[in-house]
Amino acid sequence: MGKRPQEALIMSANALLGGEVVYYAAGGRWSPHLADAFVARTEAEAESLEAARAAAEAQGAVVEPELAPVGTDAGGRLVPSHYREKIRALGPTVRTDLGPQAAGENAHVSL
Amino acid sequence: MKLLDRNGLKPDPWVRSEEIVPTEALLVPVAALDAALAARHDGQRIGAALPNTYRPADLAPVQDRLELVAIDFPKFSDGRGFSIAKGLREQGYRGTLRASGALIPDQFAFALHVGFDEIELSDARAERQPVAQWLHALTLIHDSYQDGADGAVSILKRRRLAAGAGA
Amino acid sequence: MYRYDEFDAAVVRDRVAQFREQVQRRLDGSLTEEEFTPLRLMNGLYLQLHAYMLRIAVPYGTLVSRQLRQLAMIADKYDRGYGHFTTRQNLQLNWPKLAEVPDLLDDLADVEMHCIQTSGNCIRNVTADHFAGVAADEVEDPRPTAELIRQWSTLHPEFSFLPRKFKIAVTGAARDRAAVAVHDIGLRLVRNDDGEIGYKVLVGGGLGRTPMIGKIIRDFLPKDELLAYLEAIMRVYNLEGRRDNKYKARIKILVHEIGTDAFIARVEAEYAKLDGASVNADPAELARIAAYFAPPEYESLPAVSEGFEAAKARDPDFARFAATNLFPHKVPGYTAITVSVKPIGAPPGDATSDQMRALADLAELYSADELRITHVQNVVLPHVKLDDVHALWSALVEAGLETPNAGLITDIIACPGMDYCKLATARSIPIAQAIATRFADAERQALIGELGIKISGCINACGHHHVGAIGILGLDKAGVENYQITLGGDPGEQASLGQRLGPGIDAEAVPEAIERIVDTYLDVRAGAAETFIETVRRVGLDPFKPALQPREAQLEAA
Repeated sequence: MGKRPQEALIMSANALLGGEVVYYAAGGRWSPHLADAFVARTEAEAESLEAARAAAEAQGAVVEPELAPVGTDAGGRLVPSHYREKIRALGPTVRTDLGPQAAGENAHVSL
Repeated sequence: MKLLDRNGLKPDPWVRSEEIVPTEALLVPVAALDAALAARHDGQRIGAALPNTYRPADLAPVQDRLELVAIDFPKFSDGRGFSIAKGLREQGYRGTLRASGALIPDQFAFALHVGFDEIELSDARAERQPVAQWLHALTLIHDSYQDGADGAVSILKRRRLAAGAGA
Repeated sequence: MYRYDEFDAAVVRDRVAQFREQVQRRLDGSLTEEEFTPLRLMNGLYLQLHAYMLRIAVPYGTLVSRQLRQLAMIADKYDRGYGHFTTRQNLQLNWPKLAEVPDLLDDLADVEMHCIQTSGNCIRNVTADHFAGVAADEVEDPRPTAELIRQWSTLHPEFSFLPRKFKIAVTGAARDRAAVAVHDIGLRLVRNDDGEIGYKVLVGGGLGRTPMIGKIIRDFLPKDELLAYLEAIMRVYNLEGRRDNKYKARIKILVHEIGTDAFIARVEAEYAKLDGASVNADPAELARIAAYFAPPEYESLPAVSEGFEAAKARDPDFARFAATNLFPHKVPGYTAITVSVKPIGAPPGDATSDQMRALADLAELYSADELRITHVQNVVLPHVKLDDVHALWSALVEAGLETPNAGLITDIIACPGMDYCKLATARSIPIAQAIATRFADAERQALIGELGIKISGCINACGHHHVGAIGILGLDKAGVENYQITLGGDPGEQASLGQRLGPGIDAEAVPEAIERIVDTYLDVRAGAAETFIETVRRVGLDPFKPALQPREAQLEAA
């Protein structure tokens, strides 16, 4: 994904054992909640996030870590910028009874 | 480096060199092979180290003079070496076949089936994937649907033998 | 239906034990993720957007009721109570957990099933005609061949680390229902002038980024020589297939780049060298396998069933189902039923565990215990007496599986797309749902007739859009889902690749565009007997191009 210098970024991956989507949170832990995601807003933060991505990939506790652009809505909540990451935050759009959306999670995210 | 065959670790008498040196067992890249064979002293064993882009047929003229052929696996996911080994065995190469490079224990049985005798491991790899794992990997799949150069008889054939259809 | 002997059963069990250990070694770090990935792929385990995905092999699409019941149990026990039938006749589960997969594989092994080589750079599930054994135009049942290839290709020591995936399909009939022309190797069972049966061998077909129709490399290969010849092809590919670029690594690219004649020469050279006797199966082994596919004990029945005719006369819904979902069986008094897994507005190819159990019961009761999965993501009950069709249909109605749309416009193939898949660039299922809903009216569907819409959510073409009479490809255009429509594809013996109709359109515009394409067809067709694909072949794309323009532009232009 092309990124402009000031585009805010988060990192998502899949948990190794369960396969569920997890987000890189402050302090280097991984959380299933989008709201916990660490947001890189400066170029320096983006670089360190990329370094964390490479480290996570090498370390192997999560699978396929990726950076993704993110914005915030009027309520200050994180909203992934691209529809792919929105779908990851919600679950299959054709089965609203599955994925984080089923528990009411990320209801502020819509395609 | 460590050398491993189906029985475990074994000492490696072979010296890899790009230049012709008078060691007892000399493993040279294929570009130096003609020179090595020409300079061979009595009792010296010569081996050829092949890249995995090599065509087995090209080795046919000298294969009877080689005691070792080592085939490189630059990445474990690059399976060309298995076909090169198969091709060499099919054209009658009877010396030792060595797989070297980035293989993983889960490929050990495949390597033996296609005709390799031994695997060369880096020390780092042997640290992460100890010899015990390699040997254990050989015990997991008992039968195969293909004949193996290591003597494995394919399931398809074993059925015929069991049915007494060999006659 | 093939039954495992102790050898087959042992291989599958050993494989589970091996994978169980591989998972452990991944968890303890002795295998890196990079090393573990091909190992898990070769046991069918992908990573998708929301979770892992497990692809269960259904060899040549054939199942017995006991197996389908077990799949239902597995879907309940390890997943979310449903599964997805794929375009390669397999079943996918979307929510398995890594640590539970070995136990899941053991449950599969209990019913002679597995996930071996359903992914990875190896030889994949061998697919075949879903009407194998019952079609009147069949030269020979392709499934014994498919089963032989399955065994030969399983855990093949030489061909488990290929440049890329490898797909083989077999057909035994004049009409190709297995799409062999768009497979890496396609095999057609044919009879030569002496009446002997052998194989026409095609190589280098495929879809994806660079779709190609397979080239005939052998007009007639004697049956006894099959495995050795396949080895020769595989060896050439393994040695010479490109490994520098993932998108140019299929055998179709190799055949294209060196030319068909050069490719044939290399295969024949390899074939001459290799030890055929060591590879080829004894004819007695092929006969042993073939015996498992002997037809069931059919009753001697009249061609016309009075009960069936009477039921059609009194029940118009049943009559409609009978008109669309029945396939002529070679045995009088019998039929093969296509159970549509495309209910209007539902994700194509998805079945709940309850539906799987219902189908298993119906197969046991009415279809000699046998079912098939088709590459169009439907299910076939292949041995049904016409006398029983009405009772069977009533049960389908109860299970929500009675949709009378086999081969019609709402019988849509759709890949999982971006609702599930990490590779996707757009969603495909909602597009299928919207189109199906738009065309739900049964009479209108009957009027339109046979029309295959195939939707892929990315260029990898798992929805087979290239060979759809109407193909739809979902892409990402500046962060918005965008859909390209192609016309004129066909997967059968007259295989052709669809041509792009025009620029891509928004998701909302797709159903309307399909409407206008269909209206054009209805206008232009040479009578109701000319199918959509036949019309497209006759008139070309030009008459359909205006269908992509917004209605306002069309009205202005008028």
